[in-house]
Amino acid sequence: MNLRITFTRTFFTTALAVVALALTGCGKSDSGAENSSTGLSPSAASGQVKTIGVAFETLQTEFWVAAFDKLKADCAAKGITMLEGVADGDASKQFDQVKNFINRKVDGIIIVPKDGKTVIPMIKAANLANIPVVLYNRPADPSDAKHTAVAPDNFAITKEAVTYLVSLAKKTGKKQKAMILMGDLSDVNAIGRRDGFEAAIKEAGDAVEVVARIPTDWNQEKALAGVQSAMQANPDIGLIFTSSDFMFPSIKSVLSNLGKWKKHNEPGHIILGGFDGDATAYQLMAEGYVDATGVQDVYWEAEQAIQVILDAKAGQAVPARIDDKGFAITQANLKELEPRMWGAVVAKKKK
Amino acid sequence: MGSGGGEEKEVTTAATTSREPRTTIKLVGSEFFVLFLCLIVFAAFAPFTPGFVSPANLTNILIACLPLLLLATGQTMVLITGGIDLSVTATIGLSSVVGALVMGGDAGWLRGSPMAMPVAIVAMLGTGALVGLFNGACIAWLRMPAFMVTLTTTMFFSGLAVWLAKKVVNAESIYNLPPAFLALGTQAWLALLMAVVATLLAHVLLARTLLGRWLYAVGHNPRTSLISGVPVAGVTVSAYVLSGVFAAMAAILLTARLETGSPNHGKALLLDVIGAAVIGGTSLFGGKGKVLWTVYGVLFLSLLGNGLNLLNLSDFLITIVKGAVILVAALLDVWRAKFVVRGS
Repeated sequence: MNLRITFTRTFFTTALAVVALALTGCGKSDSGAENSSTGLSPSAASGQVKTIGVAFETLQTEFWVAAFDKLKADCAAKGITMLEGVADGDASKQFDQVKNFINRKVDGIIIVPKDGKTVIPMIKAANLANIPVVLYNRPADPSDAKHTAVAPDNFAITKEAVTYLVSLAKKTGKKQKAMILMGDLSDVNAIGRRDGFEAAIKEAGDAVEVVARIPTDWNQEKALAGVQSAMQANPDIGLIFTSSDFMFPSIKSVLSNLGKWKKHNEPGHIILGGFDGDATAYQLMAEGYVDATGVQDVYWEAEQAIQVILDAKAGQAVPARIDDKGFAITQANLKELEPRMWGAVVAKKKK
Repeated sequence: MGSGGGEEKEVTTAATTSREPRTTIKLVGSEFFVLFLCLIVFAAFAPFTPGFVSPANLTNILIACLPLLLLATGQTMVLITGGIDLSVTATIGLSSVVGALVMGGDAGWLRGSPMAMPVAIVAMLGTGALVGLFNGACIAWLRMPAFMVTLTTTMFFSGLAVWLAKKVVNAESIYNLPPAFLALGTQAWLALLMAVVATLLAHVLLARTLLGRWLYAVGHNPRTSLISGVPVAGVTVSAYVLSGVFAAMAAILLTARLETGSPNHGKALLLDVIGAAVIGGTSLFGGKGKVLWTVYGVLFLSLLGNGLNLLNLSDFLITIVKGAVILVAALLDVWRAKFVVRGS
């Protein structure tokens, strides 16, 4: 009797679960139909590429969200199904996601890795399955793993932006103390930006002295604590550069409390610069608080990433590295370059 | 007679009604309930999830779940004593960095030496044991709450791992590990062998040894155990040391798999570790749990995560589903505990 009741209940539970999952499965397979409803047939629009796996390390900042959305939109426009994975900073989880893509036999994989080292076995796994890999915005360390990196020229763009900040410092007529907020130094982007900053400062000679180098590990709270401590130790800091625009709110919070959050044309203004060109930076530039930021072209990088996979699947040779030259946007050229700044586009869309 | 028959009928109806919930409780409380759920999940995903039943994917699930299996097995022993070890992810990071600093090709202390790999593995296991010893000592001898101790040592050992790596190689990640060590990541059978042997040993320890019986006794009632002659402090320390060693074994697998020593390995695994043990049926209140149940819990979470991922659901949705499942398991544990109290 007990056994019969148990069996009956189990049967219905199982049936319910199967039906629920079937519905989920049907829901997902419909998304394939949605793609084809864009009017572009997959084969006509993108040759042999039908599915691309996109594995992001994080979606924590505006930059990554903008990149992810652009990849999604471009894939949809080309009739490509985009499989997605977000690893929340866990390289092991990202490896599992990449392996899942390989099992799904995707036509290409785009990865934003946690760092340049842990991604190498992921690339090798894709190489074994003969699937082209693109590293988006964050290149891998040197190895024999075959891939294409689409990434900004961090050094050059940062140097250009910081050179502008230094020119402002020189105009004040006194030696300025400077602070840099560095990213996670296991990330080549963070290293490139730090080196670009240091190179521009070196060229400035005696005009600027770096008194604080804050390690943030790309963490806003660490940035906040670091800026607080540095401003306490050196209240006369006159120039701040952040390796990513997403840390501007941390800087703003500290400077506001100290009464030093001033526009560029107000007395007591601290010269401010960053990197990324996100919507926050655009807003702060438009309001006059930020003097310059290095802009990487997130949309162009996304287009290039997909194009590399299309080319590779079409049997064409693809380069190992595609540089996003980027540019520095400053108070002097804001009006002119604003249409090319992705953060400005995002900010205007938000409005 | 009639009335007697009526009474008989009433008794039968009452018996049937009371038997129904008892059957449900029996099913939910059954040792194989989670294994049964695994089969349901498998059967439900199989027809609708592309690539789910492919041999490559099943191998992938099996290999990917090994670090979680080791961590959850170690956690099971701590949970059985009525404690909790939140520092397992920090232990992974610290062990990974220590091992890589011993054998790493660029700056490793024993780089190039044939002894590099064995010494590194011993150093990693030793690191895990020391972290566990520290945790256990604070909890057993200083009478500090397990939650507080392991939470703060998580901060301490995570920071120590980053500091060590930056101090020695001026970077967080340490690369160029010996190929023999990397084989643990590339040769699936080696990783499988290591995890299966360790899990079996844990099972034998819990089911067949005196220490195993003491672990349960301490979890049931530490005061009674003490009066009965169980060395409660020593048993508690042993549980944390074992958890640390199992975390170090997980670190070995993750470091080999990602070919990198890093303080960041496994940082997102904590909820899965506790979740797998609790889903399996190990009680958060101590005194109850089995390694086999944890194996089922790990299998269930891995199948669920993999299946949802292959369905291309967003990562946030997968996290929500997994969180909900773990919450339900914890709720069931609370109910079970209440039921036992009422029953007794």
